Order: sequence, then C-alpha cells, then structure tokens
Amino acid sequence: MPFISQTQRQSDYNLIPPSCPIVIDNGASYFRIGWAGESEPRIIFRNIVQRPRHKITGETVTIVGDHDPALLKYFDCTRSGPRSAFDNNVVFQFEIMEYILDFAFDRLGADQTPINHPILITECACNPVQSRSKMAELLFETYGVPSIAFGVDAAFSYKYNQQLGICDRDGLAICSGFTTSHVIPFINGEPAYEACCRTNVGGYHVTDYLKQLLSLKYPHHMSRLTWEKVEELKMEHCYITPDYASEVRLFQKGAKEAEEKTRCWQLPWTPTPVEEPPSEEEIARKAALKERQGQRLREMAEAKRSSKINELENELKGLEFLIHQLRHVNGNDIPSFLAETGYVSKQEIEAAIVKVTQSLRKAKGEQDEIEEKPDPSTTEKYTLIDIPDNMLTPEQLKEKKRQLFLKTTSEGRQRAKQKRFEEELERERRNKEDEQRRLENPELYMEQLRVKYRDLSEKVEQRKRLKTNGNHGNESNNVSGGVGRGERLNAAQKERMRLLTTAAFDRGKGEDTFGIKDEDWQLYKKMSKDNDDEDEGPNEDEAELARVASRLREIDPTFFPKSEASSSGAEPPRFRPLTKEDFQILIGVERFRCPEILFRPNLIGVEQAGLDEMVGVSIRRLQQSRSEDIEENMTNSILITGGSCLYPGMSERVEAGVRMMRPCGSLIRVLKASDSVLDAWRGAASFASTMHFPRQVFNKKDYYEKGEDWLRQYQLKYAF
Amino acid sequence: MVEWFFWNRADITRKVFCDDELFLWGLGQRVLRVAFEEMMEQEVIEAEMILPTHLRFKKIQMHEKYPKGQARGRHWKHLKQIIQAENYQNYPADEPNYVNIETPPSMHPRKHICDITGFEAPYSDPRTHLRYANTEVFKLIRSLPNEYVQRYLALRNAAVVLK
Repeated sequence: MPFISQTQRQSDYNLIPPSCPIVIDNGASYFRIGWAGESEPRIIFRNIVQRPRHKITGETVTIVGDHDPALLKYFDCTRSGPRSAFDNNVVFQFEIMEYILDFAFDRLGADQTPINHPILITECACNPVQSRSKMAELLFETYGVPSIAFGVDAAFSYKYNQQLGICDRDGLAICSGFTTSHVIPFINGEPAYEACCRTNVGGYHVTDYLKQLLSLKYPHHMSRLTWEKVEELKMEHCYITPDYASEVRLFQKGAKEAEEKTRCWQLPWTPTPVEEPPSEEEIARKAALKERQGQRLREMAEAKRSSKINELENELKGLEFLIHQLRHVNGNDIPSFLAETGYVSKQEIEAAIVKVTQSLRKAKGEQDEIEEKPDPSTTEKYTLIDIPDNMLTPEQLKEKKRQLFLKTTSEGRQRAKQKRFEEELERERRNKEDEQRRLENPELYMEQLRVKYRDLSEKVEQRKRLKTNGNHGNESNNVSGGVGRGERLNAAQKERMRLLTTAAFDRGKGEDTFGIKDEDWQLYKKMSKDNDDEDEGPNEDEAELARVASRLREIDPTFFPKSEASSSGAEPPRFRPLTKEDFQILIGVERFRCPEILFRPNLIGVEQAGLDEMVGVSIRRLQQSRSEDIEENMTNSILITGGSCLYPGMSERVEAGVRMMRPCGSLIRVLKASDSVLDAWRGAASFASTMHFPRQVFNKKDYYEKGEDWLRQYQLKYAF
Repeated sequence: MVEWFFWNRADITRKVFCDDELFLWGLGQRVLRVAFEEMMEQEVIEAEMILPTHLRFKKIQMHEKYPKGQARGRHWKHLKQIIQAENYQNYPADEPNYVNIETPPSMHPRKHICDITGFEAPYSDPRTHLRYANTEVFKLIRSLPNEYVQRYLALRNAAVVLK
C-alpha cells in the first residue's frame, strides 16, 4: 500500500514555541497534521471513525483511523461501520470531526494545556459558511485555539509546485480527490474561484465501480472483495488509456496484447485430494471379500432354512401322532384328552396339519401348489354367474354379484399381464433394431443420438426455466410489489384466470346461480387439474431424455451430461471438481474501464463533464468573468495533483482531451505534481511558515464580533 | 486505590475527579489506562487504538458535550440541507459558491459501453434496458436473474428504485 498511516505519538510538542502554527490537511480520505515549516506531516491516518462495542466489557469505544484488523476481533463491529465526517467533500458531522481532532492532537503530543498554536486547516473550494463556522466554533470552544486560517488544498498544492518551479504563476490546477475533482484556474498566483468547477466523481467512485463489477462477475468470491482490497487492486493495476474505444477493441478481438494486459489474481486454494482409481489388486481384494461375505450369508440362510424344515417336520410328526392317538380314544374322552395338548377338536388338528405341510413344502421350495390354486378357485366360484337373476335368492344374488366382480377383475389382470408381455416384446424388438443400426453405422447412430439429446435437453430446460422464471416472477411480486417483469402468465394460469372470472362474473340483476347445477362445481376440479397437467407433461420428455442420456453414456466415451445450471454466472457448476481456474479473478477490461469514469462520469450515471471537458468549461467561465485575454497562457501550465491522479497514462489523456477543446496550435503542457498526495500539506506548511501567514488568520474575537457574513467573505490570499 | 476499579468508564472518570483532584491529575491518563487494562486485552492496549475519553487539552470533554443516552448526531444537517440553508439565491449570482461551481452536463456525444463486458455497445435490450455488445452477451443477459440485472443497472444509476 503506497499510503501508510503514521500514528506514532510525537514527543516534542512541548518543545515547540506557541507561535509555530499547526498545519492540518483535512481530506476526505486521509487526515494529515504536522508543524509548519517541516517537509513531512507528523501524523497521517484515514479520516474515519468506528465505534464498536467491546465484546467482554460491553463498553462502546471509539477507534479513529485504520488499524490492524486482527485487533478488531475483540470488538463487536456489526453495528459500527466506519463513518466519515464528510458528505461529498464538506464536513457536516462535527461529532466525528471532534473525535478525529482529539486523536490527532493526542498523537501530536498535546498534553496539558489547551492547544495554543494557530491552526491552518484546509477545506474544499467554496465551503458553505455553515460548515466553516461550525469548524471554527469547534476549534475555538473545545480546543482553545487562538487563531485559525482556512485554505483550499488544491491551491496550496499549486503554490508549492510553483515554488518548486514546476508550474507558472498563471495556470490551471486539476485536483482529483477522494469524492470530487476540481479544476481551478490561477491568475497571478491567486485562485479564481468564479471560474472553478467541480465534478462529483473521485477515487471513491472508481473503487466502488471496480468492486461492483468484480462482485457481479465473480459472485462466489464476493466475501474476498472488501473495499480495502479493491482499493489495493485499483492502485496496483488500473491505468488510463489515451483512447478507450481502440483499447477496448483489442480486447474484443481477443488480440495477444489483450491477453498480456489481463492480470490474474489467484486466490488461495487447496485442491481436493484426488482419489486414485483403485488398482487391480484392490479390486480383486474387494471382490474376494464380497464373495466371502456372500458365501457366509448364503450358508447362514441355508442353515436357517434347514433348521426351520426340521422344526416343521417335527411338528407334523407330532400332530400325526396325535391324530393317530385320537383314533384309539372314544369320542367322549376327546376334549379331556385334547385339553393337554391345546387343541380343541379334531378338525383343528387336521387344519393345523394341512398348514404345517404347506409351509414345509414352501420351505422346501416347491412352487407348484401355488400356481394351481387360482385356477380351481376361478372355475368353482363363478358357478352362479350363468344362472339368470330371477332364479336366485337374495343371498345368492349377492354371491353372484361378488363372483361377477371377481371375474372382471381377474380378467382385467390377465389382460394387463398380456399387454405388459407384448410391450416387453416390442421393447426387445426395438432394442435389437437399435443394436443392429449401431453395429452397421456407429458414427451416424451416435450423431443422431447426440442431436436427439440436445433437442430434448433444450426443451426440458426451457420448460423448466419458464416454470422457475414464472415462479421467480411471482416471488419477486411478493417482494417488490410490482408486476412480474416480462414473464406473462403461462397457459395454465391464463386458463385459471379465465375460469375464475367467468364463474365469478356477476351478471347484474340476476341472482347468483352458481352452484345450483352440479356441473358448476367441476370448475374447481378443472382449475386445479390445469396445474397438475402442467407438471405431468414434461415428465415424458424427461424420461426420454434420461434414456437417451444413459444410452449415450454407454456407447460414447466423450459424452458428458450437460449440467443443469440455468444461469451460467450465478452458481459454479457443481458437477465437476473445482479447479485452480475457479479461484482466479481476471481483471482485463476493468483495468481501464474504471478510471475512465473520471473522464466520462456518464458511465456511472453522474450527469457532468469529465476532467478534460472541465478544463474547457473553466476557461470559458474565466473568459466570461474577466475581460482580459489571458487564456492563451492558461493551458501552458496545467498541473495535475490529488490522490486520484496517480494512474499511469493520466497526463497523456488530459493532454489529448485538452487539445480537443482548445484552438489548434495553442500551447498545452501538462505537469505532474511532485508528490500528488502530500503536496497539499507541504504547500500549506510552507505557507504557514511565511511572514504573510499571521495576517491571514482570524481569532476568536474577530469571529464573534464580525459574525457569519464576514466569515463568508473570508478568503485566504495566497500570493504576496 | 482499589476503589478505582469500577466497571463503567464514566464512573472511573468521576471518581478521579472528585477525590484528590490535584494528586491524581498528574497520574491522570496513565491511571485510566491502568484501570482499563484489567478489562482489555494486552495487545489492544499496546496498540493504543482506543481513544481515551478524557483528554486534558480539551476544554469540554466529549462525554460532557454529548451525554450518554441522548440521541447523538441525529441533528447534524446533511449537505443538501446545508446548501438549502445557505440561501444562495439571496446573494449575487456571479459570486462563486458551492452550487455555482458545479460542472454542467457534458457536451460530448454520449458513447455507450456494454454493461457486462465494457466493450462498445450499439444495442440495448428492450426488456431489461441493459446495453450489450454482441449475441453471446445478449444470451448471458437473458439468463441473468433479476437481482443481477438491477445491480448492473444500478452501476449506471439507471435501476428502478421503488420507494
């Protein structure tokens, strides 16, 4: 990171005389504070404040600036995002401003007494007087500052570079900051605010644009694209092209230069351990294991079966013995005799015998018994059918009805069996034909299958998409309250609407006759049926699709079932293992598309002119306000400063842009500030150390006596 | 000395002020930090990232100015309100003020770029109003869920905002 915060507590505060001013560069991105006359600010930090709660104590603490994110884990930062005192480039939240000034003075070493050094603080161009007065009040009342001066940071930067000899007394300063960009013309060393112009696009917007673009392109890496990280990316990789259209054409064609210009960010990624295909011996070993297990199971089953057969045989023998015994006993003694064994009568014993023999036979695996049973039952039971009704008693009639029913059902079952058999035959035949065709001409066959697969899959997908889009449309209805965008009611829903409206339509004076006729209630059946029909239709297609897919998988080694991702960007395909490429973020076109918004704010929707056009606007305004003809020299010294001006290629683009606006042959010289970021502070520091400075400040008495109107008119004089 | 260890920070400050003001004033900052240490983790203290509540160079402390429990900061005017309150129309129009110096809309003919890829975009989708460069991008646009469409439009400040 090129910008580093310096927040070491300074120890020499008490050594510095009270006449030495403190110089503050109060920027929307960074806050810089130091002593006048020095070349570097002492303290630099990001101009933000966080107020999280400590997790253990529950205390709300204040943290100013950016700090090591590892330390923030002790705090609950969910409800406290970083807050800035700025709105566009004007300070409006003075509570936050106070925290920031507290921190800054504390780190500068202020200890005992109220700050008794004069303060030079920067503000934006044409700062509203409310903001200015509140700032003055804050400094006077709370910190006890003796005197204050306000200045514009771009002007300080220009003056500093003028002292260094980089730019002339007359010229333009293009200052591109964090939230805004200004173009300020300088005449005789003084800024001409009436010709100044400001566009509300700055470094913050560029970073935000890049962040949004990358998040939309790589939604599953969104958690990695924090604002700080994206700002780092922007500072490292973004550049400005002299001509956007030609550069973008390179990328569109896919030329080699485009490949070189695309940068790739590889996210940390661990490959999933690949399971090797089991080797030969593995397979053999597993097969042997399975075989052994099967064998064991079979043995167990065999053992169980034989033990069961033994049991049954024993029982049978016992029962036969019992019957045999019964023959020897008299009729009267039967109950008492049987009471011991648990059977009540002879019939029971006989029934038990029959059952046991049957189960024995089943255990032994004889199937014939079962097959024969239905036939005799059918022939014997349908005796009553042929007898006409009038000859039967009521009971017999009932019996007849039952027999009729049984007959029809069994006939139906037989017919179904027959049909199934026929279908089987048919399928066999078709398969055989298929095989034949395949053997004859494998290529053509595969081709046909592939085509069929593609068509079917498209159909299925479309139907699915319609259904889900319709559902999405309906869901978003509930969320946003508007009509589903573009997804019209599908056929089923249209039908339902029609039915509902026709049924519910009140035909005026007549009474509501819905429901008198039975057919009316069929309406509900129709309405719900429509929905069901919709779902059943695609199933045939899907079944067909599955069949074709399985076929293709068997015969075609290169076939790969198409994954069902409906929105290609929305989710990573789940059907193949994630590779290294999934974890790369490619930044190609975005590299120069994002800083382009400085020159074309229309790309973000800001309806203002870009940096190059602003130069023209500013010069035009200058011509309107002053009659002198000085604008020929203006473009001779155009200084670009500000943190958002560090993109490579900026000066060439500005020069090309200005050349388009100015008459042919005018001198155009674009100069880079010696240090775009720190120059504003340096200029202010050098200004504060001149003799001129004490005449520019105002103190508390002045402020309260002269009032707000005077403060409005107050402007620093930069030249001497 | 043990009496200083209260849970609430504000209590600590008060205790420091009401007892033995002169004696403790000299220790002041360090005392508060020591007391706090009992509750805070070591590295947080060493990093010194927390802003102390009492700073001696201030005439009015923060917790006096904004007492706890009151709605803090809701009364700050936003920029739009500030500008409105400025009443710039009462002053002569050629004087530069915050509103005056804004840049007018661009005079250049507008060049559209594709919302998704960034290439030149001569076409725009009538259904979603996104701009696209060629047919592949168009297929992609048509398959996007609505949420993404709105986000792309929001990049251009063209999203439908339902309030």
